Amino acid sequence: MQIFVNGEAEEIISAGTVLQLLENHAVTFKTAVVEHNGKILKQEHWENTSLRADDSLEILIFMGGG
Amino acid sequence: MNDIIKSINPSEDSLLIGGVNLRSRLFVGTGKFSSHEIVPRVLEASGAQVITMALRRVDWKNPQENILNYLPQNTILLPNTSGARTADEAVRIARLAQAAGCGNWVKIEVVQDQRYLLPDNWETLLATEQLVKEGFVVLPYMSPDLGAAKRLQDAGAAAIMPLGSPIGSNQGLQTKELIRILIEEISLPIIVDAGIGRPSEAAEAMEMGAAAVLVNTAIATAGDPVFMAQAFHLAVAAGRLGYLAGPGERRLKAAASSPLTGFLQEV
Repeated sequence: MQIFVNGEAEEIISAGTVLQLLENHAVTFKTAVVEHNGKILKQEHWENTSLRADDSLEILIFMGGG
Repeated sequence: MNDIIKSINPSEDSLLIGGVNLRSRLFVGTGKFSSHEIVPRVLEASGAQVITMALRRVDWKNPQENILNYLPQNTILLPNTSGARTADEAVRIARLAQAAGCGNWVKIEVVQDQRYLLPDNWETLLATEQLVKEGFVVLPYMSPDLGAAKRLQDAGAAAIMPLGSPIGSNQGLQTKELIRILIEEISLPIIVDAGIGRPSEAAEAMEMGAAAVLVNTAIATAGDPVFMAQAFHLAVAAGRLGYLAGPGERRLKAAASSPLTGFLQEV
């Protein structure tokens, strides 16, 4: 099924959770922040939030900036 | 003015923002460094307590390391809203930064002009109003305009951050006179942000009575960023002390420093 991650379409094989998706991509996600369909998804909910077709995720981290 | 200055003991001097007494008046940004590894050494040399950073999408194919892993434990994180073109976008970024566990300080940065990166004071004001309501400690980056600064003050900003010159330009205090007016007329701390390129310019801003300066590019692009961070630390401290000491009056003509009597050739 297809979801959207940071604005780009992404094919995923099975409907897992947000946490599984992050783990599969080896994102250093301890301090990442996730927006799920336009709403901030707190870290404690990553494990119990299942992905559905056409879901949109924004995954952000802090980078150098002034 | 001088009486007020004299009442401050330099050894007890601190800057109160958002309920925190800051000993360091140098804020440092973490952008443009050649590597993350140098950042902790730069921050240590700078003595900065307030550190800025930006929130960005993870590169899904090539995940980068989070800059937070390189920042000392006890610093105050000041995420910026860079990338925002409207108040709504700035508010969204601020909420995301807070959700990432960054505390409740935020530097509002709303820019539509991509050539000079000059901030949009109107959108900045709208974002400030909203985020103050949500309990953020809001530090708006702005073009030094007295009317806008007053409105930001009324909206509940914790400090005002006028630009010295365009971001990353190292052009120094091109807006010096406008900043001087803000220092005189606005009761909030004035923190000169953007454009400061040399330690002497930071010292000059502090001598004028700026509460603090925020420096990034000047340190990050220096030949030796660690030494430059130390130089800014010293310059900010020196400029602040010079301000507290109360500089003497400027004169158009000379005023002799040595006695004008008792010359050898007098008969």
